[in-house]
Amino acid sequence: MKLSEDHNIDREILLEAERLFYTYEGESTPALNGLSLTIKRGKKIACMGANGSGKSTFFLCCNGIYTPSSGSLYLSGRPVGRTKKDLLMLRRKVGIVFQDPDRQLFAASVRQEISFGPLNLGFSEEETRRRVDAVMEELGITAYAHKPVHALSGGQKKLVSIADILVMEPELIILDEPAAALDPFYTEMVHQITRRITERGITVMMATHDVNYAYEWADEIILFDEGRILRQGHPAGLFSDHALLKKTHLTPPMLLTVFHQLQSRNLIREKSPAPRNMEELKSRLTSPPDTQEQNGFPASPPDTQEQNSCLAQQEELSI
Amino acid sequence: MIIIDRLCYCSKLRYVNAGEKSAFTVLTLAACILSRSCAVALFVLAATGVLTVYKGGLPLFRYLKLMSMPAAFLLLGTAAIFINISKVPLGAFAFSAGSYYITGSFQGLRQGAELILTALAGISCLYFLSLSTPVTDILTVLKRLHVPALILELMLLIYRYIFVMLKLAEDITVSQHARLGNRNLAASRKSFAAMVSSIFILSIRRSGQLYDALESRCYNGTLRVLPEDHPAKASEVFCIAVFELFLYLAVIFLKLSGGMP
Ligand SMILES: Nc1ncnc2c1ncn2[C@@H]1O[C@H](COP(=O)(O)OP(=O)(O)OP(=O)(O)O)[C@@H](O)[C@H]1O
Ligand SMILES: [Mg+2]
Repeated sequence: MKLSEDHNIDREILLEAERLFYTYEGESTPALNGLSLTIKRGKKIACMGANGSGKSTFFLCCNGIYTPSSGSLYLSGRPVGRTKKDLLMLRRKVGIVFQDPDRQLFAASVRQEISFGPLNLGFSEEETRRRVDAVMEELGITAYAHKPVHALSGGQKKLVSIADILVMEPELIILDEPAAALDPFYTEMVHQITRRITERGITVMMATHDVNYAYEWADEIILFDEGRILRQGHPAGLFSDHALLKKTHLTPPMLLTVFHQLQSRNLIREKSPAPRNMEELKSRLTSPPDTQEQNGFPASPPDTQEQNSCLAQQEELSI
Repeated sequence: MIIIDRLCYCSKLRYVNAGEKSAFTVLTLAACILSRSCAVALFVLAATGVLTVYKGGLPLFRYLKLMSMPAAFLLLGTAAIFINISKVPLGAFAFSAGSYYITGSFQGLRQGAELILTALAGISCLYFLSLSTPVTDILTVLKRLHVPALILELMLLIYRYIFVMLKLAEDITVSQHARLGNRNLAASRKSFAAMVSSIFILSIRRSGQLYDALESRCYNGTLRVLPEDHPAKASEVFCIAVFELFLYLAVIFLKLSGGMP
């Protein structure tokens, strides 16, 4: 096969989808409508797009749960067939953390739940036990190793469902809206775990509706629209395209809006690239001429006031 | 059932080898049923009570409350043995009601008491097991006994999904109440029917989704999980053996002395 030989050359590419079509049984419109994309090794990728744009459906195709009616999938350059061996290889390399933990967790105790994957991969009980313990230690869930799954809170269940996949050590971890229905504490925890997963060299693909988080976290944003990829690119460029955002029910991230407002009022140093987080934004502000403290009280120079009012204005705008 | 599940995870006997606990339960239960004697039943009641409350750390009032449910049921069930309606008064007690007597014989009283006590003792054995051993541990024991994997997997999934479905039912009920779905009898009947049918549909959908999730973790037809194993202790095994030996000797002695009809 000519194509797959070409693919072999690019070791950067982990997963590639080529014109995938998928229609749910009894539906008239396809959920995946000629979707093509490439996923590079080691990247942090955010999948965004309106409800029903096909993100979850695509994820299940990535893992061989759904068989696309046409189109092909390449894993590290090799086409993935429908044979048992190919599917097993795909599922070993690509793990999905489902959106609803109750949909994923089947076992009665946390330890047993996490042990399911490694045992299926053919590890001995000894090795499985070691891996399960290590993952539980890493995610800080050792304390409820012997608890029944139904006695856990939503956030704890989420951590267990991440551990389920992490313990199998896949090359690509797909998180389907990991922070949905989590409180700020567990949201932050999941974000931290995501960061650590990436540091270990695992590629992470995440569906999320949180534009602010996606903007800050992702190396690459993939915009889904009606079963296709509308755009795949760097967050700053993509989120500056308002027509595009409108089409996919997204709003620009707060940080970027504030940045553009400040820029238009010449409060930002000339030609600085868009900041990715609050720290970067702060460092790009032009230092106001007289911000020295007077009599121990911080001065409020007109510039800062203007910045504040500009921020306030921005908030009104976004409301 | 839910409360029992919650309590068993707090039991101090939880990490005792499940095989030991199951063997104790089955043997003691069999002794109760075989002997059918008040003495044995009372002895077993005391022993399991001490084990569950004192050794297991279950609050006494909880245990009594749990025991009182089957006890009330047993009393009602055995009323027919205690109480006769007859034209002649019997030995134990008699109240006249017109030309008939509501009455009972000593024989009937003793039979009733035996039945209740034996049944209660049996229940206390099962309570001992279920208040100290999580379902997963029992499944591990059953697996050791070579119960077919299919049955064990079904038990595991049913156990897990009882809680998912209960939560679903609760959520639906709350949302129905919030919209006055129970404002009168007709409405609540309708709401209940709607809930049952939607749970049925949801559970079918859930099973499909669960299968997908299992497959995504390389499911190949058998649900393999790590066994929940806690090593058996020689001292505990010894205690159980002595207890059972004593119990069975007592049962045999009572049978041989022929006191029990
Ligand atoms: N089980 C199903 N049966 C029939 N149609 C489905 C099913 N699941 C999804 N669909 C349809 O497929 C399309 C894509 O849905 P999908 O769940 O992939 O979207 P999504 O991008 O994950 O949305 P969300 O952001 O809401 O999670 C939608 O039109 C949806 O209605
Ligand atoms: Mg989805």
